[in-house]
Amino acid sequence: MAQQPLPSSVQPTDIYGGDEVSAIVLDPGYINTRAGFAGEEMPKQVLPSFYGHITSSQRDLFGDQAIIPRADLEIRNYMNRDSVVEDWDAATKIWEYALIKRLGVPRPTPASKNGLNNKPKPAADGDVEMADEADLEETENYEKPMQENPLLMTEAAWNSPKAREKAIEVFMENWACPAFWLSKTPVLAAFAAGKATALVLDVGGANTSVTAIFDGMVLKRSIQRSHVGGVWLSSQIRSLFEASEPKVEVVPTFMVENKKPVEAGQPADARLRTFDFQISPSFRAYEEERVLTEFKESVVEVWRGPGRYLTQGNEDYAKSLPGRVFEMPDGSNQMWREQRFKVAEGMWDDNAAFPSATEEGKITKGQTIPGLIKAALDAIDVDIRPALLGNVVVTGSTSLLPGFNDRLNHELTAMFPSVKIKIHAAGLSSERRFGAWIGGSILGSLGTFHQMWISRKEYEENGPGIVEKRCK
Amino acid sequence: MTSRDVHDVLNLPSDHSGAPRPSKKQKTSAPRPNLKGLAREVQNLGGDNPIAIVPEVNFFKKRRFASRKPVAKWELKAFTNSARGDDGALVLRHWKRKTDDGAPGEGAQDGEGQQQGGDGTPASEKKEEKPEDSAFAKFNVQVVVPQYNEDQYHSNLQNNDWTKEETDYLLDLAKNFDLRWTIIWDRYEFTPKPPGGDAANGDTSTAVVPAPKQRSMEDLKARYYEVAAKMMAVQKPAQYMTRPEFELYEMMQNFDPEQERKRKQFALNTMSRSKDEAREEESLLLEVKRILARTERFNEERRELYNRLDYPATDSDINSFKSSAGLQNLLQTLMTTDKNKKRRSIMPGEGVSPNSAVPNSAVSETNPANRRESIAASAASNNNNAHRDSDARTPATPADPTPTSGANNKKKGAQPPERRKLTQQEEQVYGVSYHDRLGSGPTFRYEKINKLYSHKSGQQQLRITNALSELDLPPRLVMPTAAVTAQFEVLWGAVTALVDLRKISDRLDGEIKIEEAKKAERDRAKGIVPEKEKEKEVNGEKGKAGEEGGEKAKASAEEVDKSVTAAPEGNKDGADGEKAEIGGEQPKEDGEKKRPGSSGSLTAAGHKRSASVLSAASDKSAKRHKKQ
Repeated sequence: MAQQPLPSSVQPTDIYGGDEVSAIVLDPGYINTRAGFAGEEMPKQVLPSFYGHITSSQRDLFGDQAIIPRADLEIRNYMNRDSVVEDWDAATKIWEYALIKRLGVPRPTPASKNGLNNKPKPAADGDVEMADEADLEETENYEKPMQENPLLMTEAAWNSPKAREKAIEVFMENWACPAFWLSKTPVLAAFAAGKATALVLDVGGANTSVTAIFDGMVLKRSIQRSHVGGVWLSSQIRSLFEASEPKVEVVPTFMVENKKPVEAGQPADARLRTFDFQISPSFRAYEEERVLTEFKESVVEVWRGPGRYLTQGNEDYAKSLPGRVFEMPDGSNQMWREQRFKVAEGMWDDNAAFPSATEEGKITKGQTIPGLIKAALDAIDVDIRPALLGNVVVTGSTSLLPGFNDRLNHELTAMFPSVKIKIHAAGLSSERRFGAWIGGSILGSLGTFHQMWISRKEYEENGPGIVEKRCK
Repeated sequence: MTSRDVHDVLNLPSDHSGAPRPSKKQKTSAPRPNLKGLAREVQNLGGDNPIAIVPEVNFFKKRRFASRKPVAKWELKAFTNSARGDDGALVLRHWKRKTDDGAPGEGAQDGEGQQQGGDGTPASEKKEEKPEDSAFAKFNVQVVVPQYNEDQYHSNLQNNDWTKEETDYLLDLAKNFDLRWTIIWDRYEFTPKPPGGDAANGDTSTAVVPAPKQRSMEDLKARYYEVAAKMMAVQKPAQYMTRPEFELYEMMQNFDPEQERKRKQFALNTMSRSKDEAREEESLLLEVKRILARTERFNEERRELYNRLDYPATDSDINSFKSSAGLQNLLQTLMTTDKNKKRRSIMPGEGVSPNSAVPNSAVSETNPANRRESIAASAASNNNNAHRDSDARTPATPADPTPTSGANNKKKGAQPPERRKLTQQEEQVYGVSYHDRLGSGPTFRYEKINKLYSHKSGQQQLRITNALSELDLPPRLVMPTAAVTAQFEVLWGAVTALVDLRKISDRLDGEIKIEEAKKAERDRAKGIVPEKEKEKEVNGEKGKAGEEGGEKAKASAEEVDKSVTAAPEGNKDGADGEKAEIGGEQPKEDGEKKRPGSSGSLTAAGHKRSASVLSAASDKSAKRHKKQ
């Protein structure tokens, strides 16, 4: 069957309305920056939004491989905790690194190297001339590395007009994009789930947001967000470690040189590495965060309901459930039983959250996930509420906690008993992690989307303000 | 070496030892191919059952060259999208199947080839030609929002609550968001300009920024529909609109924001129901559904049951059934009727058709009880035909299934067993009407009137015609709708009564004159002076009677006048029974209330009396009809 060619009249584009123009999709987030070609199913490049900065030489190092213990290394992030670009210089560099160095946006091979012009017996002088021409062409191309590729960039729903204008400026001025578009992450996440109208719950790294999407447009009044995301959950885990008896110390992997197995609950027996240079606190925090992320991924679970974790009897039941062992990088290990439910309960129930010393770690009722959903729905027209509740799209990697969807379902059913609730959460973990990017990939490869692009000409005529006018 | 030899070597018993060896050898060797060397030995090992040896194939399967085509070539082609509206400033490139040089390929490229217009440019010019248009440009559809200019706004669209700027803003949003009201309302942020007008005076910090007005979605919709409807009417007056246009226009005009608001409040309440309430409602809905589903079946069963209960009644003595033979007889009768009924209940059409075919020559005797019902006789369905006679006879209790005679039983069997007696109001609502017996074939309503004439003597007819012509009524109705006919009958009854009265009074007059003449002669003979008073008294009585009769006639004439004018309004097509009934009903009821001012021929004093006179007159005529 596979050998049979498609009839020439049927082209793939006619089947799914796609029309690929090798657009690039860039999805910057607080934890990761995703980049890839539209029409593909996964981003080709996923690199941390954190980058290394060498204080002595003022150099920036990008990518996972750059974040290693070394002298004068500081870890910085070009995004802020609101998932909005803060440091535009760094952003420009990291995007350049991601798109041009790593993604390798295809440039036409210089005529001198593509083999087409190899004459069997070239004359000596003619050859030289051609090489010169090719060089010229090459440098020209390098200056405009992305002139073949329209770029679709994502932004948080609450992005400021200033940041949006800056974004189009960066791409148009620096890399000569032929076309640009700015789309909001919840919209794209809804597209990735195949919905034009949806209530998008995005539980990401730095933020949790609830946004109502109607016919592919964000309803501005419905946008609700809080800091209850992956980073906040890490701070809860820290509080849990502080509160547990004995205290659990987080020793990042890079510190451990040698470790020996110990019994559960016993102090670690490990030799730590010593460095002859100062390890910056930001680097240590980054590495600790990695450990906590691993803990999140392997231990933490959401109490599935029914009812809240603090409801009478539920805690006792949770205690009876089998626990999970987690071994720290230094070899100390411990069984976690009911704590692994409790630590994530703060996302749902502000009373259950661990008390936090910092202002950032505190949470109010309106910042919990049910509170966000309620506030978002209250802000929109009553007529479309049932439609939205029938299309709840869950995305973001923190939503991959086991039991998250069950709990969400229980909470929603308790809040809206008379409405049919349907939750759409991608089964594949990568689809959940890169929901917005995948939506952008779909959008950028649609044939009907090409009328939307802000072209270079429009940018030159109207200036960066056009992005506010067009990308609504 | 054969299998036999092997058997011998291994000392195995041979099952066919008796078989002659040479003959067998001959048998087996015959079909065997000429094998040599080891192959032959191996073959022989199999003995009687030759070993299946798969022939060695040392070449590959043949390739299928039939559907072989040259490798498809793709090329990176530039294209523009005309839906962008930027004259092809943005040129994007996508991979397209390369077409064979020139025009023929253009057609193979579905969609896009046609879009391009198929100008069939030769391949050499392809580089210079404009990049093709995207096939997806055609999907760009935009909504049409009303347009208006300054004058039109000032003449039609002024609104105290809305400035022109805000209206412009609303329409702009409506266009941008393709009339998706949810989004329009969501993005609606109109900030009216400060009254000063110039924002460029630099002193923005002290300038009072007016707070944006909060508008509900209903407000926005109401304003938009108002503008849209008015502009629609401006462009095309309502009477020239096509039907869908007019429907749209009406819908936009009748938009009621208050109702929308209430509906939303209701929806909100529905959403905030508690779980128990929701469950209760759900169970109730389920119950309703179940009941509805059951009713159908239940009705069917009940009908069946009624059919069974509908036994043939008899007036005869039951003594005949008291003996065993009589019982047997009865059983047989019941069985046969039962069978008949069953068959009929299965095929209800059978019971009807013979009945409706019976020529029914009974002339419409205006039965007083169903006079009103006879008004709208036209809408007689076949089913009504089937039990018309029983209705006519017992109009008060149409649901009463009591059979009256054996002959009628058959017809009654086809009649639906349970029928609720409708109240008058319900009859009006459902348009139910009862009517008289009709003859077969077409009948005309004015024939009914003609028939009334034909009963009368020539002189009477003349008088009646005279009376009618006095009232400016043609003897033959111009438009005999059911209502008009009915009213005319009432009038006609009154006129007849009047004519009859006059006949009597004439006779009495004559007799009185004769008696008076006799008396005068007698008196003359006796020599007594004639008494004037007596005569006067008699005359007065007579005059009164005449006056009364005249008034009756006038009242009902007026009645007809009204119904003649009212009926054409009420029913445009005279065959419509429902409307005809209403049209006829109304003047009758109104006649008592609205009478003043409707006629100029009567004096004010007469007006007051005429109402009661009318009812008296119609009562009288009704009674007379009953007697007939």
